[in-house]
Amino acid sequence: MENILEVKNLHVSFDTHAGEVQAVRGVNFELKKGETLAIVGESGSGKSVTTKAIMRLIPSSSGSIKEGEILFAGKDLTKLSDSEMDQIRGKEISMIFQDPMTSLNPTMTIGKQIMEPLRKHRKLSKVEAKKKAIDLLHLVGLPQPEARFKQYPHQFSGGQRQRIVIAIALACNPKILIADEPTTALDVTIQAQILELMKDLQQKMETSIIFITHDLGVVANVADRVAVMYGGQIVEIGTVDEIFYDPRHPYTWGLLASMPSMEIDQNEELKAIPGTPPDLLRPPKGDAFALRSEYALKIDFKYEPPVYKVSDTHLVKSWLLHPEAPEVEPPEIVKQRIRLMPGNYKEPLLVKGV
Amino acid sequence: MAEKLLEIQNLKLYFNEGKPNMVKAVDDISFDIYKGETLGLVGESGCGKSTTGRTIIRLYEATGGKVLFQGKDVHGRKSKKELKEFNRKMQMIFQDPYASLNPRMKVADIIAEGIDIHGLAKSKEERMEKVYKLLETVGLKKDHADRYPHEFSGGQRQRIGIARALAVEPEFIIADEPISALDVSIQAQVVNLLKKLQKEKGLTYLFIAHDLSMVKYISDRIGVMYFGKLVELAPSEELYRNPLHPYTQSLLSAIPLPDPESERSRKRILYDPSVHQYGPDDQLEMREVTPGHFVYCSEKEWHQYKNSLNE
Repeated sequence: MENILEVKNLHVSFDTHAGEVQAVRGVNFELKKGETLAIVGESGSGKSVTTKAIMRLIPSSSGSIKEGEILFAGKDLTKLSDSEMDQIRGKEISMIFQDPMTSLNPTMTIGKQIMEPLRKHRKLSKVEAKKKAIDLLHLVGLPQPEARFKQYPHQFSGGQRQRIVIAIALACNPKILIADEPTTALDVTIQAQILELMKDLQQKMETSIIFITHDLGVVANVADRVAVMYGGQIVEIGTVDEIFYDPRHPYTWGLLASMPSMEIDQNEELKAIPGTPPDLLRPPKGDAFALRSEYALKIDFKYEPPVYKVSDTHLVKSWLLHPEAPEVEPPEIVKQRIRLMPGNYKEPLLVKGV
Repeated sequence: MAEKLLEIQNLKLYFNEGKPNMVKAVDDISFDIYKGETLGLVGESGCGKSTTGRTIIRLYEATGGKVLFQGKDVHGRKSKKELKEFNRKMQMIFQDPYASLNPRMKVADIIAEGIDIHGLAKSKEERMEKVYKLLETVGLKKDHADRYPHEFSGGQRQRIGIARALAVEPEFIIADEPISALDVSIQAQVVNLLKKLQKEKGLTYLFIAHDLSMVKYISDRIGVMYFGKLVELAPSEELYRNPLHPYTQSLLSAIPLPDPESERSRKRILYDPSVHQYGPDDQLEMREVTPGHFVYCSEKEWHQYKNSLNE
């Protein structure tokens, strides 16, 4: 499948009073046409910063893209001027955020807010834009859009607001939709509706989606592929089945083991990941997860692990895949999940130059 | 079954009572909490689960009904002394660890506030001794006592909140979404801690949450709320295996599970309150369908539920 976006060796830093925070430290991935890539990881792992860099939303006063390329439609987004970027943002790539109340303007009717991108990017007349906006609201399943066109955001419920935000984001048929925890603030039943809506719209519009979330249930529901981020890097990436049924990185194990499954015995203790995420002011030497990992090898404290390929689609950044690394057993809860993936190579292959 | 620690009888909490914008946040609900158990309370935002918790601990004055704690009415008129005694036995842990700790107080003073109020330490040394012990209990270090809340991460702050609740040696703790604001890996740390403390100190929990897989893991019994009503109450396993009320079924069918295969075949059940077709003569109340499994229903539905389980 064709790649719609390629992120290569992305480094993003923020300048703070305490020094340079290296929020993203060499991220590589590609996004294919029509797929959903989920990015998971805890707060501070760099998942939001990565997508903000793609949208060029890193405030220049405090942060910058230090290194790397973001290739979209033959252009490197990191090199575009602000006005060139304005032509892409909201039109080719749009974004929806966690809290629909703060991403909508409370002083503007929702109709006006949906018409805005249509007028600006697609240069529609007022009458055309209104017609299209009402179509969009029908599409996202907002009841009686004609009657509610002139209402303000506070007159809608949380789920309805998120539908409106999605309508705005999809107004210009973007090639990429970045969704940053779009359902975290919503109730489960509303969340299920919004996820169904997004999948449905994706099929109709062939949009590629980058979906940021920390909820592994949501990941299993929406993702085609999953990238696991830790300490500003992608530590494992693969198809959704590879990540859930054949995880290889100890951090991915930790994430999967820390969620109770529906079958878990109440007397069984959850496998919590001890400690806290690394301080990216002074990123640890070697493997950033080593300090919290019971599987850490001596080498993890000295040298950054290389990337190994387990299959065509499955990449893991860990010394544990080195041919000389000791055999380790994943936690029991994870072992129960493991299945043989048909595409796996006989031996993991070292990926050079990453 | 074990001894009843709390009895909630026909509890009502109406906001804006008597006005056109009256909201029945908690609408005539009754249940018991047994000593040493964890009762989970789930439902969507606005269903009244947090209001129920807050009314039980007297953060709100109940509109009607009773809360009995060890047989004594919580909401009746009380002398200062009685209130103080009651406040010591019942504590609360809040959702937002950023908003629930005073940013201008040192951790030691936050934790020791209850100790001071209730005079549980005879000297300064004993007070600090208790603080250090509590910090250790919740997995923090002694030297954290001299720091301010902003120096801690979300998970650590929640541990401070737990230490503060434990400081007065309570018997009953209401945990209102204590892990919702935390990262997945940290959630497991806090849940493990709560379970460990329960085992060691024989605590009783009311655990309010909307994350149903975590609730199932931590709770012995679970109550489901919908629009101010308790619609179903059952042991956790039983509730997940045999959800009877259509709302519970809908709620359970909406939770995404961390398993791609089951997600691909997920069938969501929608809840439409009109399915009940209650007539004017129908008596709606909590009825016991199987031992310990209660559903809010009419008599007709009660027979249907019973039959459905026998099949």
